[in-house]
Amino acid sequence: MVRAEITTVPMQLPVMADQDQQEDLRLGDIPMRQEVELVSIDLPVELAEPLLERGVLPGCRICPVRSSPGGDPIVSIDGSLLALRRETAACLCVKLLSSLQDAD
Amino acid sequence: MAEQDLVASGGPATLDTPSVTPLVALVGPPNSGKTTLFNQLTGLRQKVANYPGVTVEKHVGQVSLDGGRTLSLVDLPGVHGFSARTLDERVTRDVLEGKVAGMRSPDALILIVDVTRLENQLMLVEPVLEMGLPTLLVLNMADELEARGGAVNDEALAERLGVDIVRTSARTGAGLDGVRTYLEGVADGGTAGVHVERELSNVPASNALPVVDAFAARRNLVRGIVQEADFVPPGPSRLTERLDSLFLHRFAGPLIFLAVVLLVFQSIFTWAVPLMDGIDWMVATSGDWIGTTLPDTWYRSLLVDGVWAGVGSVIIFLPQILILFLFLGILEDSGYMARAAVIADRAMYRVGLQGRAFLPLLSGYACAVPAILAARTIDDERDRLATIFVTPFMTCSARLPVYALLIAAFIPNQPVLGPFMNQRAAVLLGLYGLGILAAVFTAFLLKRTLLKAQPTSFLMELPPYRIPSPRTLMLRLLDRSKIFLRRAGRIIFAVAIVLWTLTQFPRTEAGPPDIEQSALGTIGHVIEPVIEPLGFDWRVGIGIVTSLAAREVIVGTLGTIYGVETADEESVALQEILRRDLEPGAAIGLLVFFAFALQCMSTVAVMRRETAGWKWPLIQFTYMLLLGYVGAFIAFRIF
Ligand SMILES: Nc1nc2c(ncn2[C@@H]2O[C@H](COP(=O)(O)OP(=O)(O)OP(=O)(O)O)[C@@H](O)[C@H]2O)c(=O)[nH]1
Ligand SMILES: [Mg+2]
Repeated sequence: MVRAEITTVPMQLPVMADQDQQEDLRLGDIPMRQEVELVSIDLPVELAEPLLERGVLPGCRICPVRSSPGGDPIVSIDGSLLALRRETAACLCVKLLSSLQDAD
Repeated sequence: MAEQDLVASGGPATLDTPSVTPLVALVGPPNSGKTTLFNQLTGLRQKVANYPGVTVEKHVGQVSLDGGRTLSLVDLPGVHGFSARTLDERVTRDVLEGKVAGMRSPDALILIVDVTRLENQLMLVEPVLEMGLPTLLVLNMADELEARGGAVNDEALAERLGVDIVRTSARTGAGLDGVRTYLEGVADGGTAGVHVERELSNVPASNALPVVDAFAARRNLVRGIVQEADFVPPGPSRLTERLDSLFLHRFAGPLIFLAVVLLVFQSIFTWAVPLMDGIDWMVATSGDWIGTTLPDTWYRSLLVDGVWAGVGSVIIFLPQILILFLFLGILEDSGYMARAAVIADRAMYRVGLQGRAFLPLLSGYACAVPAILAARTIDDERDRLATIFVTPFMTCSARLPVYALLIAAFIPNQPVLGPFMNQRAAVLLGLYGLGILAAVFTAFLLKRTLLKAQPTSFLMELPPYRIPSPRTLMLRLLDRSKIFLRRAGRIIFAVAIVLWTLTQFPRTEAGPPDIEQSALGTIGHVIEPVIEPLGFDWRVGIGIVTSLAAREVIVGTLGTIYGVETADEESVALQEILRRDLEPGAAIGLLVFFAFALQCMSTVAVMRRETAGWKWPLIQFTYMLLLGYVGAFIAFRIF
């Protein structure tokens, strides 16, 4: 995970190289209660940083649990509930967990 | 944990620099229980509530330890990292960096985390330990961890991190002894008295990793640590799941929200009545008693007609204010408030504000001053400015006595919605709505003119629902009563004395002049042309002038003026005299004026502080005054 050669702050996270699934799956497209893995955050760094600080990082498991009356997603991540705007959810690139669904 | 203190506790005289007490800082993510722990240790009562971002300012308190030793503890706003994007996060960073004037850099730290979300919370551990200060890791909310079937091996965690660990339930006080033992160790170790300035940031300057990678690296580290400590995450809170499926339901959610609001207003006018009658009776009988006991001198008139009539007419409203605070307290401490912010976010988004702004705006119902401070949690500076600009439109509790008095005087007590609502509650609700409309309109205007900005994002952590602690609620109500009575006792008392004095001159042969001819009446008649278009007479004019200090002062002022004026008559309720002197249209106009105008010097002062200048408070004051004047004029013409 060390990419020391990137010295500038990237405007967008590099998409994982080994991506062979649907090219452009966003958190906003995921049905309720389906856990997915975050691949990258398609946001300028100052908008991404609050997410990063709260553990919304590439590689983390994230699961939409319900939607607010206004239609914005509420997701569960590491046992915390986080309310996002759908505009933000549309900027979170995710991938489905492959066949090896873990036991917990 | 620290055993050296058992040996070193020879006596308090080990240090001969008693002037420098060690300073320990409470650090941790938002809503982890820092303030709860702080209050437990210091005996103070800083605000605790169940949503992130409650504390926005540093608070210092003294902890007294065994053997007469003391130690200073500083409670800080919660942070997830040290990027300090918001003003409250900057407060925390400045204290930790030792950059606050007049405050030494902390000698030791307590890092307090919500153990039910250990993995998420330990993201702070690395940057905090890097500061190189003695640190105690407090695993708080142990009660919830156990209740929901989670577990963690404290020893393994302590060993892996190389820090002392104490498990607590700050709310019940379980585990506090361990924290005290640690603090005793710090006190014994004394303080070098050196002031260290440091730089903190999310990305260590030493390595040139981009932010994302720095976080990812930290995240991997934490994941490893948590696994080594056999952390078993607790199951989801069933209560929270059930309540959320109700409160955040597409249709039921907003309806419940509305029902809650209606309930609050209805109860302000129904439940409060017996209590208010009680206070009213006490004020009246004690006033009569003083009147009959004292000899018939000038100071009897001052006390009974001036002070008692003025102060008494305000303290009647204490029960209504307490009911408002009781409801706000329950909503805040249960965790519902964070959901309300989510429900409101879409609407706020259209206005141009963010859902975060909803929390300060809501606390504006209590008082605009802490609400303006609470807006520090908004990261976008323009959003924050727009939010604090419109906050004083939220109906603060100081308006309540004015509203209640005028509504009770002019609005009949008849049901409108069956048994659920009467006309008085409906008018009160309308006034709250008027404030909201003005706020929305103003924010909309600002965000499209002076404070144009990109739409920002909204992120809100939803804490699990918790049963509000009755003790905390009661104590908060007690504090509120004290604040309210102190204001009545100070400002209104002083105003009453000045006003009464002004009614006594110039003397005539028969004694004090007719109030119309008195100095106060003369001043009133000078103001009258300005307010005449609104249908107000000079008494109301004086009330408006004195209420510039604080809104509820108008009630005390009218109490004093009419108290003096009707000194010889059978004592009549203020409401009845108002009905006699004010046209209904003017009364509505007065209500509208109070809904809009910024009559609160504390708000102006805090605006100056939070915007670092006079520009915004002046614009705000003028704008709100104009809006109030125009609004009152229109209301007077319509009704
Ligand atoms: N169950 C449980 N609840 C707790 C405990 N400690 C604190 N709480 C609750 O957690 C909520 C947050 O507590 P605060 O003390 O306000 O948290 P804080 O860290 O100061 O929060 P910020 O000021 O927003 O950073 C409140 O509702 C407390 O009653 C605990 O040990 N157990
Ligand atoms: Mg706090």
